[in-house]
Amino acid sequence: MLELNGIRKTFHAGTANEVRSLQGVNLNIEPGSFVVVIGTNGSGKSTLLNAVAGTFLVDEGSIKIGGEDVTQWAEHRRAQHIGRVFQNPFSGTAPTLSVAENLALASRRGQARGLGFALAGSHRADMVAAILGLGMGLETRLDNAIGSLSGGQRQALTLLMATWLKPKLLLLDEHTAALDPRSADQVVRITDRIIARDSLTAMMVTHSMQQAVTYGDRLVMMHRGQIIHDVSGAEKRRLRVEDLMARFEEVRRADLLDTSAADLLRARYV
Amino acid sequence: MSLLLGAFIIGLILALVALGVFISFRIYHFPDMTAEGSITLGAAVAAALLVTGHSPLYATLAAAVAGAVAGLITGVLHTRFKINALLSGIIVMTALYSVNLHVMGKSNVPLMNVTTFADQAAKLAAHFGTEKVLLFGREAAVRDLTLLGLSLGLVVLVGVLLYAFFRTHLGLAMRATGDNDQMVRALGSSDGVLLTGGLALSNALVAMAGALLAQYQGFADAQMGIGMLVWGLASVIIGEALVGTNRFGYLLAGAVFGSVLFRLLVAVALRWGLDPNDLKLITAVFVFGALVLPGTFAKLRRRISAPVSGDSRA
Ligand SMILES: Nc1ncnc2c1ncn2[C@@H]1O[C@H](COP(=O)(O)OP(=O)(O)OP(=O)(O)O)[C@@H](O)[C@H]1O
Ligand SMILES: [Mg+2]
Repeated sequence: MLELNGIRKTFHAGTANEVRSLQGVNLNIEPGSFVVVIGTNGSGKSTLLNAVAGTFLVDEGSIKIGGEDVTQWAEHRRAQHIGRVFQNPFSGTAPTLSVAENLALASRRGQARGLGFALAGSHRADMVAAILGLGMGLETRLDNAIGSLSGGQRQALTLLMATWLKPKLLLLDEHTAALDPRSADQVVRITDRIIARDSLTAMMVTHSMQQAVTYGDRLVMMHRGQIIHDVSGAEKRRLRVEDLMARFEEVRRADLLDTSAADLLRARYV
Repeated sequence: MSLLLGAFIIGLILALVALGVFISFRIYHFPDMTAEGSITLGAAVAAALLVTGHSPLYATLAAAVAGAVAGLITGVLHTRFKINALLSGIIVMTALYSVNLHVMGKSNVPLMNVTTFADQAAKLAAHFGTEKVLLFGREAAVRDLTLLGLSLGLVVLVGVLLYAFFRTHLGLAMRATGDNDQMVRALGSSDGVLLTGGLALSNALVAMAGALLAQYQGFADAQMGIGMLVWGLASVIIGEALVGTNRFGYLLAGAVFGSVLFRLLVAVALRWGLDPNDLKLITAVFVFGALVLPGTFAKLRRRISAPVSGDSRA
């Protein structure tokens, strides 16, 4: 469903602040696969998801969604294929619009919007049904400004919005990171349920090792702008939190080795 | 009485400016200086067409279209060429000054000898058979009352259309753009296009107000746009205070009420001997106060309550 070939992205190229955020990422995601993405801070997870979503154009490589080459497409155009939930609960909803109005916006993702009334009657029943499914008691608050809801409630609604029209690809960037543990758990469960129900293809970035081992059928680990581990199938199912911690420890040691080696070289030759 | 009616009518005409500013400034948070140029543009286009014998309706609608184009250009400068919002508007406003002079051919076009919508209202009033009626114990000219009724009808119509429009899928996406442009992109719409469309709509309203104002006053003038953005903002702010809620329909109505009330206050103040030259200064100070005071009060309140909570912890 998603094919990434040799993706590279460098920010502030040619300046002192140059960051090589993606250094040749190759990834092929099968339809219906739920991929968990982990990695240390700054390893390029968000950059990867943003590259797919089209927040910026990549420097090199190609991006295909459902076989269609979208490498040069603008962000809003790619959105016809992509549903997104962001880390920040404020990013996914329009705070002064009501819950119903936000959902109405999502019901036209990637389509012509036109001059039909957004809150025409028949729609409302669907909305209530979908919100009931969240089990958060929000069905009575359809006409409240969405800005008056809690972060967890907003993330759950953003999830509903992102999947209202079945996306070819669902991108979740630490979408539970800003929530308290209980809400985070609730939102990630809802996520899993929706992905299974609609057999969505999804990528979920998380720092929670518990989430990483519990959810998804494939796990990739990023480091310094590259994918350094990729496990799926039975191996992914066997994965425990300790295994992941061990992987992180490996990475950390390799990093230390790298830097001490660099220091050594610098001391000798510079 | 006729002074009061005049203030009412101008307040209603300028309510279109307030609605335009509401769209650019409140919906999009875009301080759109284009308005200062497009109100004059509207007056200029309408005047040029009226002088060459076109109907008031045609002239007014053409003015609105011209305003929409001005807003469109500002939007393109900002979204395509990434020019700062304020600067985009200033560039277009500056360019419009020359454009307006060209359209009018001189800096002031009198509309005394042509048929304007005000004349049409007078003609309509003649059908009522009487020239004066008693209103609240005072004599009022039927002509003025007719004009007032027509202006009111027009503003209500525009307001209802705007209200309906902002409840459509497209209108909703426009409102969302001001709220959260990232979300709008993630939901598959171009925030740049939606902003540009909103600015076009805003400036169409402002230019329409310019066209009507010129016809009411009986002249179009190259200077008539100066201070109009702040004026519109003042109306919007008064309107918000009047309705005291954030519901969209109320805010739209508030902008209209605000404009009328503000114009009435100004008329009264001028009657009491306020120097007309001070008007813009007072408007500016008022808007400054309205923008800053709520924050200052909140800060003061916090400062007053802070030591108390500090004590309770100690
Ligand atoms: N728009 C940008 N401009 C400049 N640098 C950027 C930009 N986006 C990301 N970077 C840089 O790219 C690197 C990778 O960042 P990214 O946000 O992808 O990391 P991450 O894996 O998501 O980390 P975290 O776990 O902290 O969210 C970082 O060094 C970051 O500073
Ligand atoms: Mg990140």
